Amino acid sequence: MVLDIIVMIKQVPDAEEIFIDPVKFTLNRSQARGVINPADENALEAALMIKDKTPAKITVITMGPPAAESALLECMGRGADRGILITDRAFAAADTYATSLTLAAAVKKIGRFDLILAGESTTDSGTGHVGPGVAEFMQADQVTYSTSVKIEGDTIIAERELEHGIEVVQTPMPALVTMLINANIPRRSSLRRRIDAMRKGIETMDHESLGLPPEWVGIKGSPTIVGSLKIPEEKKRLNKTITLEEIPEMVKELIENKAIVLGDDEDA
Amino acid sequence: MKIEERLSLLNYKTDKSYEHITVNPNICEECPDHFCTFACPAKCYTIIEGKLNFKYEDCVECGTCAVACSHGSVSWTNTKGGHGVKYKYG
Amino acid sequence: MSEFDAIVVGGGPAGASAAIKLAQNNMNVLLVERGDPPGSKNVSGGVLWGTGLGELSDDWEKTAPLERYLESKSVAFLTEKSKINIDFSTKNFEEQKTGYTVLRAKLDPWLVKKAREAGAMVVTGVTVDRLSKKDGKVVGVIQDGDEITADAVILAEGANPRVAIDSGLREPLKDHDVAIGVKEVIKLPEKTINERFNLRGKAGYACEYVLGFLKDGVEAGGFLYTNKDSISIGAVISMKHLRQSNQVYSFDIMEEFASHPFIAPLLEEGRVDEYSAHLVQEGGLSSIPKLYGDGYMIAGDAAGFSFSNGLVLQGMNYAISSGISAAEALVEAKQKSDFSSASLSRYQQKLEESYVMKDMRTFKGIENVTWSKMIHKTFPSMLENVMMGLFKEEGKPKKHMMQLVLDSMSSSKIKSKDMLLQGYRMLRRM
Repeated sequence: MVLDIIVMIKQVPDAEEIFIDPVKFTLNRSQARGVINPADENALEAALMIKDKTPAKITVITMGPPAAESALLECMGRGADRGILITDRAFAAADTYATSLTLAAAVKKIGRFDLILAGESTTDSGTGHVGPGVAEFMQADQVTYSTSVKIEGDTIIAERELEHGIEVVQTPMPALVTMLINANIPRRSSLRRRIDAMRKGIETMDHESLGLPPEWVGIKGSPTIVGSLKIPEEKKRLNKTITLEEIPEMVKELIENKAIVLGDDEDA
Repeated sequence: MKIEERLSLLNYKTDKSYEHITVNPNICEECPDHFCTFACPAKCYTIIEGKLNFKYEDCVECGTCAVACSHGSVSWTNTKGGHGVKYKYG
Repeated sequence: MSEFDAIVVGGGPAGASAAIKLAQNNMNVLLVERGDPPGSKNVSGGVLWGTGLGELSDDWEKTAPLERYLESKSVAFLTEKSKINIDFSTKNFEEQKTGYTVLRAKLDPWLVKKAREAGAMVVTGVTVDRLSKKDGKVVGVIQDGDEITADAVILAEGANPRVAIDSGLREPLKDHDVAIGVKEVIKLPEKTINERFNLRGKAGYACEYVLGFLKDGVEAGGFLYTNKDSISIGAVISMKHLRQSNQVYSFDIMEEFASHPFIAPLLEEGRVDEYSAHLVQEGGLSSIPKLYGDGYMIAGDAAGFSFSNGLVLQGMNYAISSGISAAEALVEAKQKSDFSSASLSRYQQKLEESYVMKDMRTFKGIENVTWSKMIHKTFPSMLENVMMGLFKEEGKPKKHMMQLVLDSMSSSKIKSKDMLLQGYRMLRRM
C-alpha cells in the first residue's frame, strides 16, 4: 500500500526582510523576497521522513500567485512527487475561511488521501486557521501543534508540544496534522530532483477546475472584516545600569509598577 | 557602527545541519599570528581566553579566511542549498 | 550521450551571460546558482562599465535594473585631515553609455530571468559539489552524489572559485591574487543624493579613493557610488599588507573610511541598510589560470578577469564578455561535436581578440604599482604638503610650486630620481 500524503504550503515574504516603515509605521514588504513559510518546510520534512520509511506519494499544494511555482519546485527538489499550484485572480484577498474552502476543494479534486500535513501557522498572518479549516471541510481528524508524526498501521501517532508538556495522540487516518516551526531540520533539495521536477512541471488549478463559484472564493467568499489596524505603543527601555546594591530597590519599583506580578501564573 | 551591529543587519538562512567551514584546533593552538582574526570581515574568528574561537553562523562566505590562513587550518566549502548569507542589495 | 549540451556553474554576470548566449543558440543548457535567489551571495563595487548587457538583450536599457548612469567620476587621495580630488564630469558619459551603477541582488535576478526566457533550465539554491571527470576529461558535475552530464562545463563561480580550486583547475588563491572587499549600502532619499552630489535625474557619481590615512602600513582603496536611493561605499584592502601589519581589523577599515571628515558628511542622515564583504580578484594577468581544457572553460572572476588601476575598478564587464566568448566557443565546438581542449581553445582565442585579454596584457603588473607605499602613503602626504604650502599665509615670502614639491620630497626622504622612476612606471602601466 502506498500512502497518499498531501502537504499544504504557502510562499510568504521573507520575515527577515520585512521592516516597519519608520515614517508611516506600516509593515514594508516591498523588499521582501518570497520563501516557503518556515513551518510548512517542517510539514514537508515530516512527510519526507514518513516516506523514508513507508512507501508514500507526496503531493504539495499551494494557493498563490504564479511566482509560487518556485516554492513547489523546491519542494519537489526535496523529494515531493507532485506539485499543484492553485492560482486564479478570483482567489485574491481570501481570508482564512475562503482559503480553507479552496484548499479543501483542491484536496477533494486530488481524490483520496491518508494524511494532510501543513505548517501550524504562517509568518505573514499567523492565524493558524487554515490547517484546522481544511480538516473541518474534509471532516478529517486533526492534530495541531505537532513536533513529530509517524505511521502505525492505519493510524498516525503525533506528538503535540503544549505549554506544560508533550501530548502523544493516536488517531486513525485519514487525518490532518499541523506541524510547529522548527519541529525538524528540513532537508535540502538536490540538483537531480530539481531537474526532474522542472521536466515534469507543476500542475495548476483554478476556480473553474475546482468547481467553485467565484462568489465562494477570494474576497467575495471571505466573511472576515478588518475593522481597524493598530500599532501597539512602543514600550520605552530605561537603559539603566544598576549596581548589585540597587537591585532590591529596582525590584520593588518594578512590582509597584506592575512590571512584575508575584505568584504563579495560574493565579495571575 | 560596530561590526556586530553591521552583521545584525544581515539576513542569514543558517544551515543547522552543515558547517561549511571548519578549523583544526590543533593547528590554531600552535598558530603564531592568528591573522584570520584580523582578516575575516565578519569577525567570525576571535580569541577567547587565549584560544581561537570560530563561528560559522555569521560568515558572509567571502573566502578571505581560506586565503588568510597560511597554516592549513581552514577548510572551506560552499554553503549548501541556498543556506547562508542572503544579501538584499549586494 | 550527455544530458545537457552545457552546464554553467554560477549565475552571476559571467555565468548568466554564457547561459543566455547558449540558449539563444538553441543549446540545451543548465544554469546552476547556489544563491537563492540569484545575486543573494554576490557583492560588487557597483559600476558596470560599458554596454555588455546590450549583447544579451535588446531591451536592456528599459528593463535592466540599472541604478544610475555615470556622469561624474572622481579620484581622490585622503590623508588624515585632507582630501585632494580630481573630478571629471561629462555629458559624453550618458551619450556614450559609459557606465552604470548596479546592485547585484537586483541585476543578477534580471540576468538569470533572461537566461530562463531564452530557454535555459535554471536551478537556484543548489550548490554543485564538484566536477565529474572521466579519463581526465570534464564530463559533468556531481551534486549530492548524483552525476549530471554535459558536453562541457563553464565554471563561472566568481571570485572564490571552490569547484575550480577543488578540481585542481586553479591554484588555491594567494595573497597576491586577491584583496578583501568590504562594503556598506547606505539608504538616503533620492533627492538628498541628487543635492549632495550635484546630480539631476538618473545621473550618477562614482569616486575611487586612495586611503592614505591608514596606519601600520596597511594599504586600501576606497570607493563610493551613488545608486538611485542609496550609496554604496566600501574599501578594497590588500591582503598582503594587512597580513604584514597583523594589527588592523579589516572591518575597522570600513568604519575608518566612513567616518573620515570628508566622507562622513556625504553619508549624513543615511541609514546603513547592509554590510557585505567579498574577495576581489586583484592579481591581474599573473593570477589568470589556464582558461580551458577537455570539457571545461573558466569565465569571469573565477578566471581572474578583474582590473583595477586606481582610477577604475572593472570586473562585471569582463565577466559578461568572457561568458559570451565561452558560449560562442562552445557553440562552435558543438557544431564539430568536439569538446576537447584543442577545440575549446577557441575560447582563449576569442578572449585574445577581444578587449578582455588585451586589457589584461596591457595592464600587466599594474597591481604592483597600485599596491605600493608610493601611491598609498608618500604621494598623498606629498600632495597635502604642496597644497598647504600653496595656500597657507604665514607672513613669509611664498615659494614656487616646484620648490614646494622638492621640499616635500626631501621631507619624505624621496630622491627625485626615484620619484621620476615611479612616475614613469605608473604612467607606463596605467
